[in-house]
Amino acid sequence: MRGRSSKVVWAGLAVVMAGVVPQTAWWDLNHTVFAQAVVSGLLIGGVYSLVAMGLSLVFGVLDIINFAHGALMTIAIYASYLLFQNYGVDPYVSLLITIPLLFIVGVGIQRFAINPVMDAPVHNQLLLTLGIAIMIENLALVLFTGTPRSIELAYARNEFDLGVVTLDFPLKVFGAVVSLPKLVAFLAALVLAGVLYLLIQRTQLGTAIRASAQEPEGAELVGIDVRRIYMITFGIGAACVGAAGSLVLPFLFVAPTAGATFTIIAFVVVVLGGMGSIPGALVGGLVIGLTQELTQLFVPGSKFLGVFVVFLAVLLFRPEGIFGRVRR
Amino acid sequence: MKRMNILLSLLLSLVLVAAACGDDDAGTTTTAAASTTTQPAAEETTTTVPPAPVLIGAIHPLTGGLAGAGNRMDNGARMAVDEINAAGGITSLGGAPLELISADSTGAPDVGQSEAERLISAGVSAIIGTYQSAVTTNVAAIAEREGVPLVIDVAVDDSILDQGYTYTFRLQPNATSMGTNGAKFLSELGGDEIKTVAYLHDDTGFGVSVSEAFTTAAAALGIEVITDITYAPFSVTDLTTEMAQAAAGSPDVIVITGYYNDGLLAARAAIDLEVDVKAIVGIAQGAFHTPQFVEDFGADAELFFNSNYHFNSSDPTVAGILERFEARFGEAMDTEAMLAYQAIYVVADALERAGSSDPADVRAALATTNIADHFLAYPGPITFDDTGENINAEPVLMQVIDGKVQQVLPIGLRETDPVFPGTSWGS
Repeated sequence: MRGRSSKVVWAGLAVVMAGVVPQTAWWDLNHTVFAQAVVSGLLIGGVYSLVAMGLSLVFGVLDIINFAHGALMTIAIYASYLLFQNYGVDPYVSLLITIPLLFIVGVGIQRFAINPVMDAPVHNQLLLTLGIAIMIENLALVLFTGTPRSIELAYARNEFDLGVVTLDFPLKVFGAVVSLPKLVAFLAALVLAGVLYLLIQRTQLGTAIRASAQEPEGAELVGIDVRRIYMITFGIGAACVGAAGSLVLPFLFVAPTAGATFTIIAFVVVVLGGMGSIPGALVGGLVIGLTQELTQLFVPGSKFLGVFVVFLAVLLFRPEGIFGRVRR
Repeated sequence: MKRMNILLSLLLSLVLVAAACGDDDAGTTTTAAASTTTQPAAEETTTTVPPAPVLIGAIHPLTGGLAGAGNRMDNGARMAVDEINAAGGITSLGGAPLELISADSTGAPDVGQSEAERLISAGVSAIIGTYQSAVTTNVAAIAEREGVPLVIDVAVDDSILDQGYTYTFRLQPNATSMGTNGAKFLSELGGDEIKTVAYLHDDTGFGVSVSEAFTTAAAALGIEVITDITYAPFSVTDLTTEMAQAAAGSPDVIVITGYYNDGLLAARAAIDLEVDVKAIVGIAQGAFHTPQFVEDFGADAELFFNSNYHFNSSDPTVAGILERFEARFGEAMDTEAMLAYQAIYVVADALERAGSSDPADVRAALATTNIADHFLAYPGPITFDDTGENINAEPVLMQVIDGKVQQVLPIGLRETDPVFPGTSWGS
């Protein structure tokens, strides 16, 4: 079922592509533009996956719609930026700081803000997370002003001799460029998906997390401290988006709203991939990224239109998402 | 499952809202039943009591995606008010001090509108603002209805003043001036070397109005826009595909209009792709002429052009203003902040000549404004025509050369010779 449906989505995309592409006059002229759209779509899709994984985990386990997710990313973006500006810390080195920092922030938010409202009506939880988001955003505004800043990696356009092969950045693939920081973010998305998947499927903590997600009462009965598991889970979700924040810094901008840009798209990815599914978040992100860039080719200026068309189509035919299971 | 449904309905409503807000050029102003509020007559100022302060409202996006520029503008206005007060206030009103009431539009037209109403009921003599065309459209409608003058520091869309308003005045060049002068600069810069242009711009009223004006003016000069690519400026996180599309038809030049963040993404994409063009030229672009772009982008910022409003960097008075701003607020002053600073001086000048804080009298005085010693790189004094446009408002062409934003056209304001073909990666 799972395998079939994702194949259906891919096949559908392929049919659309195969039907439309040769019909278009620009095809002869624009191989490179097409290649660029595919490459950009995959790369930005990787970023969407990165951001969505933590959200999916929190959503799947805690059943919390966390509108503060993008704002948590903003914290990491600023942390990495300040470390770079003041101490010259490379953004990739600052991952060692932002991941634990955001884990602690996540645990704190769950412990003091969300645990007390776990059984409250949904709209109360929504207002709470939205309130946290607004608070973080405006705190950044007060502390760092709204002036957008950015950083450039000194080595983003260097050659790297890996012995077997020399990589000259930005790489050229079929005429499309792959910039170093985007490639790093993409690879990190794959790694993070693998790590998270193993953590949830193969460790004792993962088993406890899954138990707390499926049967909180049962988990309590066999001695799992569900509130603690919730705190750890939210912490892991925040740590994931913390990693995303540091990884996007070299190709995005630094502003109080930088993370919030991703919030809505991350929700779309989570629903598309299936709540709580890490592989779903990965594949969903890539599908959304590709869809958006290919839409830009055929309907210039309406990137996000295509995203929501695909989103609605998936909801109609597979409401639980690509990798989702039918829930209780 | 209930949560799922709530989330989905939320997402759907967001999508619908986003779709509805797609074209903020429509300028849908809610014309409520015109409530004719009569302004309280200005109090008789006697020489014995200290004169009451004159209230001036300032509406800018102080939070949200445009908060950077919005807060700098608010700071510019605040600095002007403090300096005028320190110099003795409004002499013709017995030395009455100015009092600034800052309001946050949050970047949303409806919020800007309700804030304008709030300021007017607080009794302001004039309003300045608002940085965005869509917000300004709504605020101008309120200003007209309530009879309180609005001095636009920054907002580009022509249509704001096409309504026959008598209470709105604009300091910056409008979209037609931006687009027309941009085209003129291009032809002056490249002569026969610039025949084709690809245009990449935001899809809001700002980008659309400027690009339309440019396209018309360029055609008359024998420059053809062969590609027109738009993007949504507040949700975009990558412009590589768009830049590849713009470069696909081998244009001579790529022209970009938009805000700061998207400008940054466009510049990065151009450098990554090493687009084979003779120049990349911003027209009313929010990034390529700013101090932080040059600072953050380093060597990559070299040779980017921008045709935009600019403070007069060759004027020593302006140098002093820039220094005071940076000393007080800890960041470099940009032209947007200078326009807000200037707007306060324009209002103060009108108050001085009107000898009254009554909004109608201030409007009458604004209509006859003639300020020669202003702070902007304009070819003449600040003076408004019948529609409220600043007659002499024109952009200048700037280029980042040797790590500094330098004026290159018109000749009269030139600080250094332009580098053309102008791309730092060469062809």
